[in-house]
Amino acid sequence: MRHKLTVLLLALGLLVAACGDGEEAEAEATTAAPSGTTEATTAAPSDTTEAPATTAPSMEDVSLRWMTRPDNPEEAAVYATISDQLSSSLDGVTLTYEPGSNEGAGYQQTLLTNLSAGTAPDVFWIPGTDVADFASRGVILDLRQYADATGHNDADFYPGPMGHLTTELDTGQPGNALWGLPRDVSTFALYVNLDLIVEAGAENPLELEANGEWTWDKFNEVVSDVAALGSEIKGYGQSAWWGPYGAWMNATGGGFFSGDRTACALDSAESIAGLTALRDLYSTDAVIPYGEDPETPFRAGTVGMFQNGRWATPGIRTVSFDWDVVGLPSGPAGPGNWLFWGAYVVNANTADPAAAWSLVQGLTQADVQAQISGLGANIPSRVSQDALDAFLGFTPPQNNQAFLDGLQNNPTTEGPLWAGSWPEFVTLMDSEIQAVVTGTRDIADFQANICSETASAFSG
Amino acid sequence: MTVTATEMRRTSGHAPGWYRPLLVWRFFVAGLFVAGVLAVLLRRGIVLDGPMRWSLAVTLSAFLVGSIVAIRRTLDGRHLGRLAGFFIDFLLAVVFGFVALNRMGMFAGLDTVGERFNSNIAWLGIVIIGWLVSGFATRRGRVNEPIRNIARATMGLGIVVLVLAMGLVPGLLEFLARLIDPEVLPMALLAIAAGIAARLLWSDSAAAYFRTTQFEGETMDGLLFVAPNILGFLAFLAGPLLVSLLISFTEWDGLTDAKFIGLRHYIDLFSDALFLRSLRNILFFGVVAIPAAVIPAMLLAALLNSKLPGMKFFRAVYFLPSIAGVVGVTLIWKQLFNSTVGFLNYSILRTTEWLNSIVGSEWVAPQPQWISDESIALVSVIILFVWQQIGFNTVLFLAGMQGISPTLYEAADIDGAGPWRKFLNITVPMLRPTTVFVVATTTILALQLFNEPFILQSPAPPSGPGNSTLTPVVYLYQNAFQQFELGYASAVAWVLFIIIFGVTLLYFRRSGDDGVLSV
Repeated sequence: MRHKLTVLLLALGLLVAACGDGEEAEAEATTAAPSGTTEATTAAPSDTTEAPATTAPSMEDVSLRWMTRPDNPEEAAVYATISDQLSSSLDGVTLTYEPGSNEGAGYQQTLLTNLSAGTAPDVFWIPGTDVADFASRGVILDLRQYADATGHNDADFYPGPMGHLTTELDTGQPGNALWGLPRDVSTFALYVNLDLIVEAGAENPLELEANGEWTWDKFNEVVSDVAALGSEIKGYGQSAWWGPYGAWMNATGGGFFSGDRTACALDSAESIAGLTALRDLYSTDAVIPYGEDPETPFRAGTVGMFQNGRWATPGIRTVSFDWDVVGLPSGPAGPGNWLFWGAYVVNANTADPAAAWSLVQGLTQADVQAQISGLGANIPSRVSQDALDAFLGFTPPQNNQAFLDGLQNNPTTEGPLWAGSWPEFVTLMDSEIQAVVTGTRDIADFQANICSETASAFSG
Repeated sequence: MTVTATEMRRTSGHAPGWYRPLLVWRFFVAGLFVAGVLAVLLRRGIVLDGPMRWSLAVTLSAFLVGSIVAIRRTLDGRHLGRLAGFFIDFLLAVVFGFVALNRMGMFAGLDTVGERFNSNIAWLGIVIIGWLVSGFATRRGRVNEPIRNIARATMGLGIVVLVLAMGLVPGLLEFLARLIDPEVLPMALLAIAAGIAARLLWSDSAAAYFRTTQFEGETMDGLLFVAPNILGFLAFLAGPLLVSLLISFTEWDGLTDAKFIGLRHYIDLFSDALFLRSLRNILFFGVVAIPAAVIPAMLLAALLNSKLPGMKFFRAVYFLPSIAGVVGVTLIWKQLFNSTVGFLNYSILRTTEWLNSIVGSEWVAPQPQWISDESIALVSVIILFVWQQIGFNTVLFLAGMQGISPTLYEAADIDGAGPWRKFLNITVPMLRPTTVFVVATTTILALQLFNEPFILQSPAPPSGPGNSTLTPVVYLYQNAFQQFELGYASAVAWVLFIIIFGVTLLYFRRSGDDGVLSV
């Protein structure tokens, strides 16, 4: 009986310790209960304006929770370290970092569930394509007044993402709003298996690029040369989502949307030209079949060139062959790259918007971005020579400049549909593009009908 | 808690000491519910919209009515007053207790204790050493007292060190300090008061005062025993189910106010080409995958049921896929399916080359695009699903076979039946209940297909080439978490639920008609 009592007490003690944080207690003092949980019991469709994301700030201390999606556990550890550092450097602010995703739920699920329940963190990351959805629903704060008060300059960041982050709700065009600051950016590059290039006797894409000769024609030649090594060797591979095929349309001067992003432009002559080039490429046996994962064969050393963003670098670093990256080849209208980005935004229900803004600023300062870029998966979003110099030093690949060139060569910035639903548009577009590329849909039929098929994604 | 007839007799004018405070408490609780209903209806303090608002208002009103009944019957000294009051107080104690603990960070901090335990797990070694030594000190009935005492002291020391290293003491102090938080203290006091009231009403004294019969007392005890299960069911199963049903009648993005639209989502679903495509896909999937996961499993179980050497090893091997994590397994299959470097196509290539060398033919090895070809992408998912399910189903059939009386087989042997005849005429019919269960569970899993296409197709959309791997749950996910259409997604979930429920009911009804199972 006495042992049972001891075990019971121990179990109780462990449970009790669950709520306590010894370090906080030792450090001192006033600790608020983990915030954001108090309103959870009201569940579902609540009026989020009444559900504070944090406990009310005292004069002494403000507790803020923030969440961003890490690509891997190492990145999560870096974010946790950064959170501790900022906690120390931001006066009177105590930060709690949450990775957001776990084995059971992805980042988007976690974020949406938290927002629905009124328990979302004060500051969180969202993909660039989601900014309009969150802003138009009043979920995130327009930070302009806080930015103006702290001397923030939009020009410190790449103009493409800032164009979307400053878009006015009523006009759908860039203006004086400020929905957040970009966490990082990325562009596409071609990861090149240099051993295969040499073995095939193909021209080196890096040299072609250095000489200004890296065009679609040369690209096709390299693909053919590498594929000629054997039936199991392929010249090129890309994944089957909107980014890779969109780059081909961008390179012919086409795109998904009209200039003001209020209408579909998939049927424009330029877009069709890009899609035709892609379809022609995939009509040969020289490439990884469309829809098949190209990363696995590239890492196995059987693919000459593999198109992906900076986020693929950590995985590619484990291969045993000689590799590097090169920019996308120029099409009729240039390299046609994308500028991918995501942003830190502030929960509209935060108890302390000013403190949350200071956290957003802290998370996007140059030294913080340099720390994260050190892992290899991100490019700093701040146009800061210090941050870019640091990025160039994170090798391999040797030619990190290819990513920065991608940012400089007039990339198309990914972005939301302020006049419609981007997720719905993508869902409708993806399957039809795949049908064209794999030859199950005639491209003329695609051109004739795709914009009416995707019309439901546009409002008005 | 039952009382004798004598105890039950209540003497007028001799109310127990707890009666007046309890009555005051009853009025206070009724007042709380009145305030709650007003707060919801007037949107003051509890701001909800749409169906959630009305659901909460109805729930609180029901508790208000319960409280009024409890007050009236308490004044009359009737058992109903005791019963109603007890369950209201019990629920209040549970709810306020959970809210208080939540506000104190009890649940959010479970990760912390896990991390602390993991980082200090080395200290547990001292406890284990002490335990081992203690075991050695007591062998063959002879106890070496000094060694055992040293071992116990070592174990105690290990626990103390572990507790200190985990920061349990400052954690305890911090936890207690949070009790005085203005957001916590009222909740904690309410929980304690409701707990005390519930305990009073459960006492023999209350049973006597309220003239509770033995049957009524036992019923109350029984309900109290099953209360944790009922509460868990209501909170984690029935509650979310009902909420999702309500959401399916609304236009709701999860972020702004919900708008009641009645059955519009359900009507729209049946003209939604993508939803209909997902139903067609899952129908095809079910028709192929369910027999493929059940029939071979039964044959395999028959093989593994034999008394040949090494059968236990093979039973374990076949069971392995079902205990492996679906994500990890699917990622491995994704590699196997890869059309250029995957093992499946490599095997086909090498086998064809070998056959060509043997036969002298010039066959060209097919190299299917398992994941990216619209015509076979769903077949690839079927292969993966069947591979995962077959082992588990085999174990179920095996258990069923081992429950068949050997006398049946002995009688068949006497009659001269061969192995195949015995399998068809004894094993298969006797396995009917197991078969119904296996088919039903496999059907449910098949209709809920999500992880496999989601991971196999990544980073491309999970709907696959030409929407060939679009399943209802994948479509549900896309609507809920990519397009912010939670109302529509809930309608998809309910249609799927009705289909699964209907199919399962059909299985069990048909089995019940034959006397195998009944519902």
